[in-house]
Amino acid sequence: MAKESFESGLSWEVRANSRHFHNQKKSLLCFGWGRYADNVLRSYKYSPLTFLPLTLFEQFQRAANLYFLLMVVMQCVPVIASVPWYISMIPLLLVLTVRGSKDLINDMARRRSDSQINTRPCDILISQSFQSAQWKDLCVGDVLRIHRDQVIPADLLLLYSSEPHSLCYVETADIDGETNLKYRQAAGATHSELTAHPVEETLAAFDGVVLCEEPNNRLYTFRGELHWRGECHLLESEHILLRGTVLRNTEVAYGLTIYTGTDTKILKNSGKLRVKTTQTEKVFNFVVIGIVVTLLLAALLLAIGSGVFSSRVTGHSNVLVANGNPVYTGFLAYWSYIILLSPAMPIALYISFELIHTVHSYFIGWDIEMYWQQADRPAQARNTSLNEELGQVEYLLSDKTGTLTQNRLLFRQCFVAGQIYGDASVRAEDVEPMDLSWNPYSCGGLYMSAPSLVEKLRFEQCPLSRQFLTALSLCHTVMTEWKEVPPVYQSASPDEETLVGAARELGWVFLSRTRDFVKVSELGVTRQYQLLALLDFTSKRRCMSVLVREPEGGLKLYCKGADIVILERLQKDSPYQEWTERALELFSQACLRTLCVAVRSVPEALWMQWSKTLARSAAMATCDRDAVLEKLYDEMEQEMQLLGVTAIEDRLQEGVPETIALLRQAGLKVWVLTGDKKETAVNIAYSCKLLDPDTRLLEWQELRQILQAPDPGANFFKSRQMELWAVDTNTAGAKTAVVLTGPELAEFDQRPEWGSTFMSVAEQCQSVLCCRVTPGQKADIVTLVRKHTSSVTMAIGDGANDVNMIKTAHVGVGLAGVEGGQAVQSADFALSQFRFLQRLLLIHGRWSYKRISIFLRYFLFKTCSFALVHIWFGFFNGFSAQTLYEIWFIAMYTVLYTASPIMCLAFFEQDVTAEISLKWPEVYKSGQRQELSSPLVICLTLLHAVYSSFVLFFIPLGVFHNTAFDYQTMSVTVSMAATFTATIEIMLVTRYWTKISVASLGVSVVLYFIVSRITQSRFLFERSPKDYFFIGTSDKAFIDPVVWLTALLTAWTAVLPSFTAHALSVIQTAHDKHKVHSVSLQPTQLKTNFRRATSLRRSSYALSQGAGPGRLISSGTCIRSTAPPVDEKMTCSNNLPLSQGQTHTKDYNSTSM
Amino acid sequence: MVKEEEESPNRPDNTAFTQQRLPAWQPMLSAGIVIPGFVVIGLVFIGIGVALFVTSRSITVLEIDYTGVDKDSPCFKCSDPDIKNCPCTVDFTIDTLFEGPLFLYYGLSNYFQNYRKYSASKDLTQLSGDLANFKAPSDDCYPYDYSAQKPIVPCGSIANSMFNDTFKLFHMVKGTKNPVALDGKGIAWWTDYNVKFRNPSVNPLKDAFNGTTKPPFWPKPAYELDPTDPANNGFINQDFLVWMRAAALPNFRKLYRRISEGEYEKGLPAGNYSLEIAYNYPVLKFEGRKKVVFSNVSWMGGKNEFLGIAYLVIGSLCVVMSIVMLIVYAKFKFPEED
Repeated sequence: MAKESFESGLSWEVRANSRHFHNQKKSLLCFGWGRYADNVLRSYKYSPLTFLPLTLFEQFQRAANLYFLLMVVMQCVPVIASVPWYISMIPLLLVLTVRGSKDLINDMARRRSDSQINTRPCDILISQSFQSAQWKDLCVGDVLRIHRDQVIPADLLLLYSSEPHSLCYVETADIDGETNLKYRQAAGATHSELTAHPVEETLAAFDGVVLCEEPNNRLYTFRGELHWRGECHLLESEHILLRGTVLRNTEVAYGLTIYTGTDTKILKNSGKLRVKTTQTEKVFNFVVIGIVVTLLLAALLLAIGSGVFSSRVTGHSNVLVANGNPVYTGFLAYWSYIILLSPAMPIALYISFELIHTVHSYFIGWDIEMYWQQADRPAQARNTSLNEELGQVEYLLSDKTGTLTQNRLLFRQCFVAGQIYGDASVRAEDVEPMDLSWNPYSCGGLYMSAPSLVEKLRFEQCPLSRQFLTALSLCHTVMTEWKEVPPVYQSASPDEETLVGAARELGWVFLSRTRDFVKVSELGVTRQYQLLALLDFTSKRRCMSVLVREPEGGLKLYCKGADIVILERLQKDSPYQEWTERALELFSQACLRTLCVAVRSVPEALWMQWSKTLARSAAMATCDRDAVLEKLYDEMEQEMQLLGVTAIEDRLQEGVPETIALLRQAGLKVWVLTGDKKETAVNIAYSCKLLDPDTRLLEWQELRQILQAPDPGANFFKSRQMELWAVDTNTAGAKTAVVLTGPELAEFDQRPEWGSTFMSVAEQCQSVLCCRVTPGQKADIVTLVRKHTSSVTMAIGDGANDVNMIKTAHVGVGLAGVEGGQAVQSADFALSQFRFLQRLLLIHGRWSYKRISIFLRYFLFKTCSFALVHIWFGFFNGFSAQTLYEIWFIAMYTVLYTASPIMCLAFFEQDVTAEISLKWPEVYKSGQRQELSSPLVICLTLLHAVYSSFVLFFIPLGVFHNTAFDYQTMSVTVSMAATFTATIEIMLVTRYWTKISVASLGVSVVLYFIVSRITQSRFLFERSPKDYFFIGTSDKAFIDPVVWLTALLTAWTAVLPSFTAHALSVIQTAHDKHKVHSVSLQPTQLKTNFRRATSLRRSSYALSQGAGPGRLISSGTCIRSTAPPVDEKMTCSNNLPLSQGQTHTKDYNSTSM
Repeated sequence: MVKEEEESPNRPDNTAFTQQRLPAWQPMLSAGIVIPGFVVIGLVFIGIGVALFVTSRSITVLEIDYTGVDKDSPCFKCSDPDIKNCPCTVDFTIDTLFEGPLFLYYGLSNYFQNYRKYSASKDLTQLSGDLANFKAPSDDCYPYDYSAQKPIVPCGSIANSMFNDTFKLFHMVKGTKNPVALDGKGIAWWTDYNVKFRNPSVNPLKDAFNGTTKPPFWPKPAYELDPTDPANNGFINQDFLVWMRAAALPNFRKLYRRISEGEYEKGLPAGNYSLEIAYNYPVLKFEGRKKVVFSNVSWMGGKNEFLGIAYLVIGSLCVVMSIVMLIVYAKFKFPEED
């Protein structure tokens, strides 16, 4: 038995109730390995034992740290030590400690959140009784009891549930973003055999063996066999409860654990934790390596020079201490020069870099406008090293459910008999609630104020509107659950739930459903309709109908569906047609989801004939039948009379359309990746202004042609122009959006060459919508974008299904919302609301990018210009690695004399204020283009630094050449000039002068003079002559006019190029800047309001993918026994002709619901 | 309000700092500021440059190279390093009054006093009079730390290579040699003389040097550097101090004497002069040159034409730059006209 299964790939064996079988673990010390993972979540990296080695290993993977370590080691060798060792040892230790403790703190946080999940309670069957245990105790093969609203701790095989037919309902929002309930059903065998009471005993005796696939990340498929009592039952994904889903509306479900912990499908989907580094850091690291290599090369050349010089002077070695062996002298000079030039790449840079990142992260957390009062939650930068990347994002990949939308559908408006009820321009919260006290079933939730409609309904003034509500209460696949009055509605489609709920509020209460009857209370009068046929929804038909026999005996077909479908099936002379068009137009402008509702009185004769055909078709083979059925349905759904139009608002998160509009202006491309249905996704994309009303959708068929074409770009343009030239040739470029679904996306796996073509097409499109994608596919899309563009990607989401993409993107943002989201744990930034993204990107991101790139460039400039002086000095001191500065100046220059102004700049600089950044989002684009951190800009900075170092040496050389000035005076002059140069340069780049910046600038320059006087004082000299031998130099130099004049001239000449460049840019951009500052005063909101010149109606009806749940209804499997008590007296007469209605849908090929 | 804050402990502080709204001055630069700014800076520089240049011009310098490279130069006979204390005389004429106070420098070229090993080759503790380091000089002094198992005091190559030519200046008045008084006091830095270099407090000084030996290159030990003035001996000998203050660059001057008292206080009148040199210091083997420099000084010290010219050049550059900017500005302001 096992052998066969093995051959078919089912190699994962699970034996129920036999822990010892699965616990055969090998382990050594604390490391264990076994076939079956335990159910403990371990997202932490360190243990007390491994922390030190691991963190050191990680930190010394950074080339910079290794380099600094090497410097420290070298400075400990006396022969070559041109500067003392402690000058770089202390900073290095500081860096390692700070970084290490930061990692440790992060890891502790992960441990805490892990243990929170690991200690969640669950009931495990242990020796005939269920005992309360924790998630981490769970093993493969355990039998579990899950209660209503509990989160499922591992992937389970559903054995049995308290509901009829062992059905149970799960919410999969965390897995695929869909909020509607899904059905899961136990295998027939286990259901029937395990129903006997008491459950514990039968379950404890259950000894089935499950053979299934090895753990994998395919969420929607499962292959397996259950071998039990000598029989083999096939298992499918329908029988599986996935970890992370929530049991709903089901009292108790029992399951057999199949995959635990890291083997579960959701964790297999969650991707690996990656260490993220920013683009700027990458460019910067490259530059660092470049500088280091250059320095090594320069040191080598200087060392050769040293050897040559030494060989030339050996003749009079009594004067100069030359060792006699030029090669050895050169060798020593090489290392000395490396040490001497190493301040060009100071470790202080890395310390400051970390510090700035941390402060920027604090600023994000401190921003009161990103604080959400409702949940008392500020924004949070969980990863403190990605700030500047926020200013460079070009692709925003967003989840839909919970991120863009609130998961709430509201019935906002309707159109009945030539009249529009409700007002969508009022915010849902502000709608005045109607007086519905006459309705005992009313329980709120209707955000539509239409007293006139209620009046018409109650006083029977308008038969059409009554029929409209009858249709709403009859034509659906909703199920009721009677716990108390009013009933709770459950549906596979949230739209339907909303419609039925709205009808309930208005007095048409759907009470219960059996296989053949639907019971409705119409304004308190209970009426029972016989359900003759259910013409189910498919995404192709885009409508559904019910055929009912009224209590009075008449036959009625109630139909609802997309406007295009319904309008063409109406009677020719139906009234209000023009009004209907207008109403649809209005609704779609308000971004409401519309459905048309229609009715048809079906003659008895037609029904008899039609039902016969239907019965015949039921006997046909599946493939033919679908076509026949479709035709049949089409015949019935004709000659209808329009009852009205419903308009549902899919509640967006607050401020989503504004935010997306703003981000699009800022040059971001917003893509939506969702596990939800295509219809919903497209609708949301329109309503949140991601797509303009006239945006054309480029679907798979067309896209495929483009991708397969030999010259895809040309093809794309051609097709676009053919279709769109008539509308608006100018904007054709941006007015296209690609819509893809998961299975279509899977084709990319086989055709890797499509990736780049797809990206080149997508780059020209307004947006890309990916629907029905798994978490893994979401990550794949991010990878696709990362691979084929050099742009920065940002992923935003709230659920566990977004974790993978959040980890994969350059920057991951988790939305915490009201309940807090799973995604936050692995996100780099946590926000409470989508709209905070505008501040995060346009203000904090832009500023961070600006500040950090200026910081890096300035730092490189000041350190290189200061250190490279030694190269030039080498030519005039026999390449002897003589320092041109007092060693204390070398130690203090970067950390004291020039540090605080640049830190102030890196903390406070604002080229434009927060308000202007938001009103003028175009300024964000400079970050996307890497204008401030491109290799070219950095090269220019380095060039300037080299020039400055040249000036810093050669002007003093000219002055001091052939004079009586000594080495120490020249040294003080050059150091003074270097300090002045750095100070003038920072004054040039600072645009935002706070009191702190002015003070820090003054203080750091004054510090130079004070500290120089101190280190060159008699007091320190007398304590350690060897360390403070510059005694008296500054006393003399600081009052010498030549020293001052030289230092000033040198500093001015050194900054002259950047001064000129700044001045030229001021002259050139003065005009633009003026524009920014003046135009920004006007509200830019105007733009969005005048956009709706042309609008295309959209109407959709979103259900689960593929067919609707009609099969379950008509087969009666999910009809609850919890109907209202009056139901007991239900008449069961005349149920003759109905069987056709159910049979035809029985074998409907319903893909994963 | 207070209540609200209690309910939301995580609410960020609404301060100017946390909200990044610190009051700040944001200068709006425009061409109207930048271009005149450049002109002003340029003019200031030109002004300084002119002042420096004029000052520098007013300083007179007389340089006499006495290395003795040419066969017909008076010191040629002394250029052989084997001849010690070789006397040679250089005659020169001054046409007009050489205004005083005058400074007499010796200059060396191609001499790398800033060579790292060389300039570090001294023992500052020893030089500050610590007797412990008399017995055991620091390793830095190698190879001039011990000579024949005796510690060298002062140790190190910089001390060992002390310049030891001496000069005497005579005014030739009607065939008689009239000596010009050369003042060697106070030519070293105050801190060097009073703090950095100290003689051990042993009296007589000679005793402190017991058990040590003089640097090999020196003719006399340190305590006999100046036989004329007992106070000018040991580590605080002015010539020694001047020598020990290492030069910045391979071509340098060092102050030798001042002509600031006696009859030549106001300067050297026109006439013939004779400089008698005791030639000791070998420079030819490293292609060095020796010279004697007479110079008067101004507020900016010695003659320095470079600084003035550099100021003029940079100042003019700024003015030129501002003209270029004006052209660029005009092009941007009125693009349609082009």
